[in-house]
Amino acid sequence: MKSKWNNNLKGYVRVEIIGQDSSSFINACMESGIQIWDIQPLSNDRILVSVSIADIRKAKRILKEKKLKIRIKEKIGTPFLLMRMWKRNGFILGMISFIFLLFLLSNMIWNINVTGANPKTEYELRKAAVELGITKGKFIFLLPNVREIQRELTEKMKNVTWIGVTQHGTQYRFEVVEKEIPKAKPISGPRHLVATKEAVIHSLFVEKGQPVITINDYVQKGSLLVSGYIGKEKKPELVSAKGKILGEVWYQTQVEVPLNTSFQTYTGKCKNRHYVTLFGMNLPIFGFSDGEFQDKTETLNETPLYLAKWKMPISYLKKEIRETDGIKRSYTKTEAIEVGKEMAKKELLKKLPEDAKIKGEKVWQQNVSNGKVKLTMLYQVIENIASEQPIPIQQGE
Amino acid sequence: MGKWRQHVSKWMMQNLELPADVVMDLPRITMIGQLHIYIENHRGVKAFSNEQLTLKLKQGALVIKGKEFVIKTILPEEILLEGTISSVDFEND
Repeated sequence: MKSKWNNNLKGYVRVEIIGQDSSSFINACMESGIQIWDIQPLSNDRILVSVSIADIRKAKRILKEKKLKIRIKEKIGTPFLLMRMWKRNGFILGMISFIFLLFLLSNMIWNINVTGANPKTEYELRKAAVELGITKGKFIFLLPNVREIQRELTEKMKNVTWIGVTQHGTQYRFEVVEKEIPKAKPISGPRHLVATKEAVIHSLFVEKGQPVITINDYVQKGSLLVSGYIGKEKKPELVSAKGKILGEVWYQTQVEVPLNTSFQTYTGKCKNRHYVTLFGMNLPIFGFSDGEFQDKTETLNETPLYLAKWKMPISYLKKEIRETDGIKRSYTKTEAIEVGKEMAKKELLKKLPEDAKIKGEKVWQQNVSNGKVKLTMLYQVIENIASEQPIPIQQGE
Repeated sequence: MGKWRQHVSKWMMQNLELPADVVMDLPRITMIGQLHIYIENHRGVKAFSNEQLTLKLKQGALVIKGKEFVIKTILPEEILLEGTISSVDFEND
């Protein structure tokens, strides 16, 4: 049975041998080691024989010697099958090119959808996307992945809070959440000005209203600064109090500075490796060394390929290897305090409104323990402490 | 000389319990009903037709008669014949 499969694979021919002395041909084949099988007599001077294509030349030589004629009846086996298939190569080529075309087309962008954006933002978003190379007809596997697109678009667009990028087959969807900038409501109704925090009044400039405090007064949070009632006591008039009350406010901030820190930086050296992933196996196709870096970080980027809507078991994988450098930083105690002061100030400035001024700073507490410098800083800040408080209109008077 | 050797081999076969086909170069014939016949130790095909196959042997010939004969495989010293076998005859010359 095994030899039959073997014969089928290598290919053989059924030949008719015509002549009187056909049994001498069988003997000659046997002696010279030519394999023949399925010998079937048809009539007195004709037999049907199978000969493998590897032996057909030798068999023909013997036939010539014996003065026998040969006629090929049938061609069996893979070589002949392939030849017959090749004759219909147009058909096969068409099929392959169809699959190839389908593959290419299903890895192209066909549609870009933007939702949740007004026309102006949408136009800007589309423009930004074009800059990234996201246009109709681009190959998806040549583009950065969705995460990256999302990050870059969110960075580029100023008037949006968030852009969600999703890829559905050949379609990119951008979901946009626009920044809603609340319009400042002009308060025109009667109101007081009250203190937003505990402070000592530094200076005051009242445009409208009746100030109830003077410079160097100490005020609590929520206490009245400028009254909306003006005029005589008996017949008060309500106005919308307006003014700037600058108060001296004390802030306390705590910072910790470790004396020794180690952190990593990239040295800028970078190696890329490219893989084709087949059924979860990574086959390297380009870039064969890991760069021989002592310290490194690796990032993986996978781009799957699609045929129609199905994800193929084949995908393209890019591995980025970046060299890192371990750096140790150590401060002396005085340096650490300097840095701590700087840090504390920065942190404070983040919390303060823009027009605030730092008048003075003081180190309140400092101690070194567990390799850390702990600082408690005290700041004197001059800022506007006034905030509006509407006066409820009393009815029925 | 040949006759003496034949005598020796016959004696060896009978007294040393050696298989006859090995010792005496005789054909070994295996048949499966009428369907197959398998012959080892033949010396070539003398004649072959639909109803008859004549094989040369070391001594004489083997005539197989039947219907619809097809030689399935043929190797030096081995042959497998398929068909409907009706008789196997030895011919001594």
